[in-house]
Amino acid sequence: MPGSWAASIRRGTLVRATVIAALLLVVLLAVPAVTSVYWLKVSTSVAIYSLAALGAGLLYGRVGMVSLCQIALLGVGGWVMLRLGYATSLPFPILLIAAGVITGCIGTLIGLPALRLSGLYLALITLMAAAAITLVFSKHDFPNGGPGFWGAEGIGGTNVQRRPSIAESDTAYFRYTVIAATILFLLALLHVSSKPGRAWAAIRESEPAALAAGVNVTVYKLWAFALASFMTGVAGGLLAGSVGVLANSGFPTSDSLTLLAVTLMGGIYSLWGAVIAGILFKLLPALLQDWGLSSDIATILFGVGVLQVLVTAPAGLAAQVPKDLANLGRLIGRLFRRDVRGQPT
Amino acid sequence: MPSLEFSKLFVVTGLALGGVYALSGVGIVVLYRATGVLNLAFGAIGALGAFISWELVNNTGVPDWIAYLACVAVATAVTFTYGVIFGPLLAARDPLVKAIGTLGLALILLGTMSWKWGQIAGLSLPLPTTTRSYTLPNGFGVVNWTQIIGISFGIAVTAGTAVFLRATKLGTAMRALADDREITATLGVPVRRVEAVAWLGSGLMCGISGLLLSNLLGLDIVTLTFFVISALAAALIARLRSLWITLAAAMVIGLVTALLTPFSGDFQTLSDFRTMTPFVLAIVALLWLGRHRTVTVTRTAR
Repeated sequence: MPGSWAASIRRGTLVRATVIAALLLVVLLAVPAVTSVYWLKVSTSVAIYSLAALGAGLLYGRVGMVSLCQIALLGVGGWVMLRLGYATSLPFPILLIAAGVITGCIGTLIGLPALRLSGLYLALITLMAAAAITLVFSKHDFPNGGPGFWGAEGIGGTNVQRRPSIAESDTAYFRYTVIAATILFLLALLHVSSKPGRAWAAIRESEPAALAAGVNVTVYKLWAFALASFMTGVAGGLLAGSVGVLANSGFPTSDSLTLLAVTLMGGIYSLWGAVIAGILFKLLPALLQDWGLSSDIATILFGVGVLQVLVTAPAGLAAQVPKDLANLGRLIGRLFRRDVRGQPT
Repeated sequence: MPSLEFSKLFVVTGLALGGVYALSGVGIVVLYRATGVLNLAFGAIGALGAFISWELVNNTGVPDWIAYLACVAVATAVTFTYGVIFGPLLAARDPLVKAIGTLGLALILLGTMSWKWGQIAGLSLPLPTTTRSYTLPNGFGVVNWTQIIGISFGIAVTAGTAVFLRATKLGTAMRALADDREITATLGVPVRRVEAVAWLGSGLMCGISGLLLSNLLGLDIVTLTFFVISALAAALIARLRSLWITLAAAMVIGLVTALLTPFSGDFQTLSDFRTMTPFVLAIVALLWLGRHRTVTVTRTAR
């Protein structure tokens, strides 16, 4: 029996991995083939913001800590990417990793209060940190090849962040972004399904119990912040490559709140939730605009969505949609069976 | 370094700014102490009231005072409705979840305001008190009546609420409710009714703050909605408990921010980043207050 159980688990994992790989292949090949440049850029943004949502979701869903400064950290990643991009001739992947590592360090610094504070206080501290970072951006702006430490020489510069030589075009850069995002999702999966994931779950359920069980709470909390910030930093770097020029108006504090809203709507207990969050955050407003509607409607929907998630569906759309589809399938199946037996429906 | 005489001019500005921080900070702490909900939509609700006032003043023929009353009425109605519907639904949840719920409300209001008024630039809602000013003695500059009302309102609300929570039966019930809803209910306190009163009071405060803030800070959707983050700093320094510390912290934050304004030359950075004062002070204060953290085992909150 245990053998067949293990075999069925392995089979399930294999089927899931095959489906995900097929889906990824479709995204990489079909999206550039059927969409215009505008929608391709929107799709690139979806992948980038999915990474930011992944960081926020990991912190809240796995460790129980809310960070309201993920968009500010996305800006930090973008800033580092631009600064190093203009200052050095390092290859693009190295720049991305550097952006991730430096943002990871800054994120860990912001996460330090997590060792002393928790819950609401931590969320508010990160919100204040986001507001402070946004203020720095508004004073110094993003690097555009200028002199000095800040590297900005006023508005109107024509310099743009270079892209990797293998992904100069928008199509190639979209594929590059999706592959980079996939690698980071796999990194998250690796963490969640191994020792750190178990330690985070223990901390989330009860910190005293985790301490009693021998979990190094300090290390694992900071690790979670470092990992989430690293991912967000890489996402910021990818954003810099996608847009070419960044502005402080692209990282308002309000977006950090909206990101939390879409992350909750997508689902914080599943990695798919981050993908749904990215789609909601970037694709939904673009679709509304394309249909001639105001993108502000998306903000209203996010607000309604947060309240709905908190009250009725804590696991978000990632868990709710399959459940609803299964219920629908069962209902249709039951109706069909009754019809076959000739009973009234 | 600015001279003492020059700095004196900024003291009044600082106190007025502190009064503005206190208005929101105290309003947030009062609701938190009464219901356990940190209302992140405090600014957005007040802003909605102010925009409806502006609409009434500019696009209808109603007298100004009715428009100002409408601001308070709308803010009260929105806060009360949210509290009555979502307060009980989220009552058993963690304070963080309750706060995220109000974030949902803030997003709904932010989206609605941006949709309706986002395209109109340069809006303002003048109050009759703004045009009247008073010159202070000893070179402390000029202060207008809206600023005076802002400071006085902050102090009056702090004193009034502190007395109300301590000395009245309803106030005691509110404090008990914030501490443990279920035990309070078993003691025979009509929890839903008490909560409804708390939300109603908070809504009133939201409306009055919205009206004053729209005048002191300008009628801007984003500024008014997210001013709550700066105001939260004062509330956080008081650990969301003491109304008087919130008031004092708000005044200190306002004063420090204003007194950093005249710095120039080698100290220009201080002036440039003066708006960061609330965040820096709140982070430092919270870290200092939390330095002796002990691990406690509490009932699991979802």
